[in-house]
Amino acid sequence: MSLAAPTHGFLSPTGVEIAFLLVGLVTFGAALVSVTTRQLVHAALWLVVTLGGLAVEYLLLTAEFIAWVQVLIYVGSVVVLLLFGLMLTKAPIGRSPDADSGNRWAALTVAVAAAAALVWVVVDAFRATWIDLDGAAAGSTKVTGESLFQHWVLPFEALSVLLLAALVGAIVLSRKAKADAAGPEVPGARDGQAAAERAEGAR
Amino acid sequence: MNGVLDVALRLLVVFVVFLTFPLIVGQTEHKVMAHMQGRLGPMYAGGFHGWAQLIADGVKFAQKEDVVPNGADRRIFQLAPAVALLPYLLVLLAIPIGPGEGAVGQVLDAGVFFVLAVMAVGVLGSLMAGWASANKFSLLGGLRTAAQLLAYELPMLLAAASVAMAAGTVSLPGILDAFEWWWLPWQIVGAIVFFVAGLAELQRPPFDMPVADSEIIFGAYTEYTGLRFALFLLAEYAGIIVLCGLTTVLFLGGWHGPWGADGLGWVWTLLKTAILAFVVIWLRVTYPRLREDQLQKFSWTLLVPLSLAQIALTGIVKVVIQ
Amino acid sequence: MAPIPGSGLAKGLAVTLRTMTKKTVTAQYPDVQPDLPPRTRGVIGLFEENCTVCMLCARECPDWCIYIDSHKETIPAAAPGGRDRSRNVLDRFAIDFSLCMYCGICIEVCPFDALFWSPEFEYAETDIRELTHERDKLREWMWTVPAPPALDAGAEEPKEIAAARKTAEKLAAAQAEPQGGDT
Repeated sequence: MSLAAPTHGFLSPTGVEIAFLLVGLVTFGAALVSVTTRQLVHAALWLVVTLGGLAVEYLLLTAEFIAWVQVLIYVGSVVVLLLFGLMLTKAPIGRSPDADSGNRWAALTVAVAAAAALVWVVVDAFRATWIDLDGAAAGSTKVTGESLFQHWVLPFEALSVLLLAALVGAIVLSRKAKADAAGPEVPGARDGQAAAERAEGAR
Repeated sequence: MNGVLDVALRLLVVFVVFLTFPLIVGQTEHKVMAHMQGRLGPMYAGGFHGWAQLIADGVKFAQKEDVVPNGADRRIFQLAPAVALLPYLLVLLAIPIGPGEGAVGQVLDAGVFFVLAVMAVGVLGSLMAGWASANKFSLLGGLRTAAQLLAYELPMLLAAASVAMAAGTVSLPGILDAFEWWWLPWQIVGAIVFFVAGLAELQRPPFDMPVADSEIIFGAYTEYTGLRFALFLLAEYAGIIVLCGLTTVLFLGGWHGPWGADGLGWVWTLLKTAILAFVVIWLRVTYPRLREDQLQKFSWTLLVPLSLAQIALTGIVKVVIQ
Repeated sequence: MAPIPGSGLAKGLAVTLRTMTKKTVTAQYPDVQPDLPPRTRGVIGLFEENCTVCMLCARECPDWCIYIDSHKETIPAAAPGGRDRSRNVLDRFAIDFSLCMYCGICIEVCPFDALFWSPEFEYAETDIRELTHERDKLREWMWTVPAPPALDAGAEEPKEIAAARKTAEKLAAAQAEPQGGDT
């Protein structure tokens, strides 16, 4: 994060800033639609738009590496897994009448609280720092790698242990289902395993 | 003004390549496949050995009625071909064919990630088509596509990561700048894993279960007609170009060649890509389709361990030579 | 010896590659006419000069697809005091090729060699009724009947030639013997 350009004001936005805002609005709208729509697969596809929009925002902030990884992991894998799961259900084409749960207010509360916490953390951390978009890219692969493996190694390893735990848990769950069935492999077990291995790949 | 012109020119060149090269591959496939089966292939269209067959096919597709099934999810059904096709156009932008800035559409810092990420997006098109067609065969095809993608993207990524480790960069021109001839035997396992996994991701035979015509008609594309169907086909052939180009750049040294590397580097790239495209066709003619469970087993029990072993080997050699 | 793993895959690749370098077997039909052997079962030609209207072909035809009409004519006696002779004259000879199953029995049974196989096969019609071809058309197809294939080198000579040769030899012997007796 380079330091602020001294002569910066809110009233003379640059082209990048306008683009950032517009893409942000689109992303926000897509996110809203993806949680409010009653068509399950449409929700997943709106999620693609949301995640893609986020990737564009990263790009605008010169964090190229993060942007492509975002597309690769979330759009390329997580949403595909989601769609795979949806296709296994009986999701109808058109509205699902029962695609609504009673605790939408609780969900809203949690979402707003999480958003508030994130915004607060970001605002508190960066205050009025401006990214110098004209200088060397602050988010290139080299820079990201160096900061990740020099300053943030411990959280990185902690996260990988967390993912490993999830992986082992998934395997344990699928093994148990297999032992209960006591027959040929249960399809569900295999999916769980695939998902677990997927998670490892994503890491 | 000069910059704008430059960008426009690059985009134009990439677009022309995108429109012509898949057709060339398609025509080659017609001819090579025919001769491998003791036939002649198309002989009429265009006069000389049927060179214009695919153009004639395109005209035919354009004339056909564009049918959307009654129960289909109309908008997603119509959007799917574009989602399947456009990523490959974007990927072509990032593939360098020669040394220097002039021979690549756009230099990207994280080129390998860009290319793999965008290719994975292309599969969303098949999934959308499979779900939105309101057809059981399409749904089965979509399911198989998703399962195949999940199984084969991992070895593909790992193989690409091995090269990135060897070169110490994830930029495609950077990898080529670092290339030495002895990388070829060093990365050969990774190359094979990458190529095979790429074939599976493109759903080319012998990994074409998602479109297995004798089982599920044409998988996710069953309900498509006319121009939209043609776009899916174009996406498949553009995918072949992209896969062969990527394998060339990552594993075969792109513009490096035994001689004449200065100035003629792009010839080497094109030559290697063409040979790989021939191999794709050759494999299609030679091998029968794998069964769905064989496909999954092949990936998880063979390709993934192989690619992990390749990464280990890369790491060891890298440490030793430093 | 256990085969090397993957050798089968390589063998498959070799087969397709070898086939690619070989000559193709595709027949470029409308451009290049096929080179069909004589007696190919294309169409049946009628050599009507040989036909005596014996009706054997029509009776043997399993499909009943041969139509023959005829009438009798009386030929006045050749020599004075002789008897008038009657003769069958062919009025109609038609084969319905929409029924014909190309079994060739008619050709086999014809005692006077009036029916022949021709390799001609391009006689498709747009209406099934037009597949009933009359005698003039059948006669025209006679021109497309190729000469029969030559006999094998060691084969028995054809019956009619053998008979003719025998007669000729006998005649020669009969002529030669009296001369020999004289001298």
